[in-house]
Amino acid sequence: MRQRTLVVISGGLSRPSSTRLLADRLSAAAAERAAGLGVAVSVRVVELRDLAHDLMNHLLTGFPPAPLREVLDAVEAADGLIAVTPIFNASYSGLFKSFFDVLGKDTLDGKPVLLAATGGTARHSLALEHAVRPMFAYLRAAPVPTSVFAASQDWGGDEAEGQLRVRVARAAEELAREIERREPAAVADPFALTTSFEELLAGG
Amino acid sequence: MQFGIFTVGDVTPDPTNGREPTEHERIKAMVAIARKAEEVGLDVFATGEHHNEPFVPSSPTTMLGYIAAQTEKLLLSTATTLITTNDPVKIAEDYAMLQHLADGRVDLMMGRGNTGPVYPWFGKDIRAGIPLAVENYALLHRLWREHVVDWKGRYRTPLQSFTSTPRPLDGIPPFVWHGSIRSPEIAEQAAFYGDGFFANHIFWPASHTQRMVALYRERFAHYGHGDPDQAIVGLGGHVFMRRNSQDAVREFRPYFDNAPVYGHGPSLEEFARETPMTVGSPQEVIDRTLGFRDYVGDYQRQLFVVDHAGLPLKTVLEQLDLLGEEVVPVLRKEFAALKPAHVPEAPTHASLLAAREAGEKAEVTA
Repeated sequence: MRQRTLVVISGGLSRPSSTRLLADRLSAAAAERAAGLGVAVSVRVVELRDLAHDLMNHLLTGFPPAPLREVLDAVEAADGLIAVTPIFNASYSGLFKSFFDVLGKDTLDGKPVLLAATGGTARHSLALEHAVRPMFAYLRAAPVPTSVFAASQDWGGDEAEGQLRVRVARAAEELAREIERREPAAVADPFALTTSFEELLAGG
Repeated sequence: MQFGIFTVGDVTPDPTNGREPTEHERIKAMVAIARKAEEVGLDVFATGEHHNEPFVPSSPTTMLGYIAAQTEKLLLSTATTLITTNDPVKIAEDYAMLQHLADGRVDLMMGRGNTGPVYPWFGKDIRAGIPLAVENYALLHRLWREHVVDWKGRYRTPLQSFTSTPRPLDGIPPFVWHGSIRSPEIAEQAAFYGDGFFANHIFWPASHTQRMVALYRERFAHYGHGDPDQAIVGLGGHVFMRRNSQDAVREFRPYFDNAPVYGHGPSLEEFARETPMTVGSPQEVIDRTLGFRDYVGDYQRQLFVVDHAGLPLKTVLEQLDLLGEEVVPVLRKEFAALKPAHVPEAPTHASLLAAREAGEKAEVTA
């Protein structure tokens, strides 16, 4: 089987968190669907809570502390991304936004991303389409068509649980297909020269 | 190897008592610091160039000319000279004039500047930072080497039959370093000309400096200036010392915690771990600094920043005493013992003049 990597960004703040719960279901489903397509996916889950101080330090000093740098590198090298945020005030959380604010330019260029969010009630669900998806469009990522929102009520009751399961399966299928049909992600060397000095001198 | 200090020239309130020096006090303090650097036996004083508050050094050659008159041996330099927003013609003239007044005790470091609004104040665009640095320096390089220059570029008025005056002292242009934190194009530029490369080495992890210096060395050799280990490398450094390590940490912490660049961010301990900053005893500074060689190779210039973040002048002068008395003598000896003979020292006016005379003599003999 071909090998691919999937990084899961979970912006939940509490422990345990429903955001992480949703992230785990999505990644398990995506890995399973990918395996069905002949792709072995290794999954790396990142809890932004663990990186909260490092993120703020990066914003203030301009460079990432080592643990954060390692995660940023992993995202750049990933073949696919699952990004899950709690919805705060009709949008992604500040912590979730901060992570994508410090991600290097072009890191998500063309990268398949599954967008997901959690909230108290289903009234917050369209924040995924109005707030989260535009940010990933701006970052030139390739978000899959189905985004997944889980409200508190989705975690109980047969019928609700069934609906969440269907959405998770559909989104995971879309992500797995996008990962499967692409070449492995290539990582750009930030120290590589892209133009010769002669070209620069000539005004290139 | 050369040792010295560089200053950004910030006016920052002392966080321990709220006292903010006036611009006049800060400017005079910078002069006092430079004089002290010579007195304690350091080799280099370099000033930043800024055109925005809270920084005072907008006119480096005025300051360096004044310091030149009050010192005898100190090498005067910049960290950095804005090659993007300054007219290269004016840089050529100002620094040639300074070179004459200081009897050759001058070199300079090119940098782009990272403050967006400064560029439009000088009619430039920060998005063209790299092309500006490349084109302006190409002109500056010619102005110091060719008596009459015809020139046309994208960023300034063309020149017809222009001669920059005064000509460089003894016809030898000041040695140039190129400083950059993270742009490989600038390491490439330094390598192309066989100039020096200076890594900021303050705000970023050492692994980063290692990559930039390695790139510069490799390209220096590619352009035929010598072996990679013969390239001319300078490093920044960031230290605060007291005889007793704990005293250094205790005294420096409020300055660190409130510093303009990294204040209110990582703890002093985290920042010291992630970057080459050393807060501790002179011996700790010696050990850490000797370790720089492990990842950049034998290098030619080490500059420390000691007068920032609101530290009072008295404290800064004490830092210079420790550097001059306890740290630099040991570093000089240790680095010299480690350096192979084929690795050159940083060029100075005296060494470039001697090399030219030796070359002329060889020509005559041949």
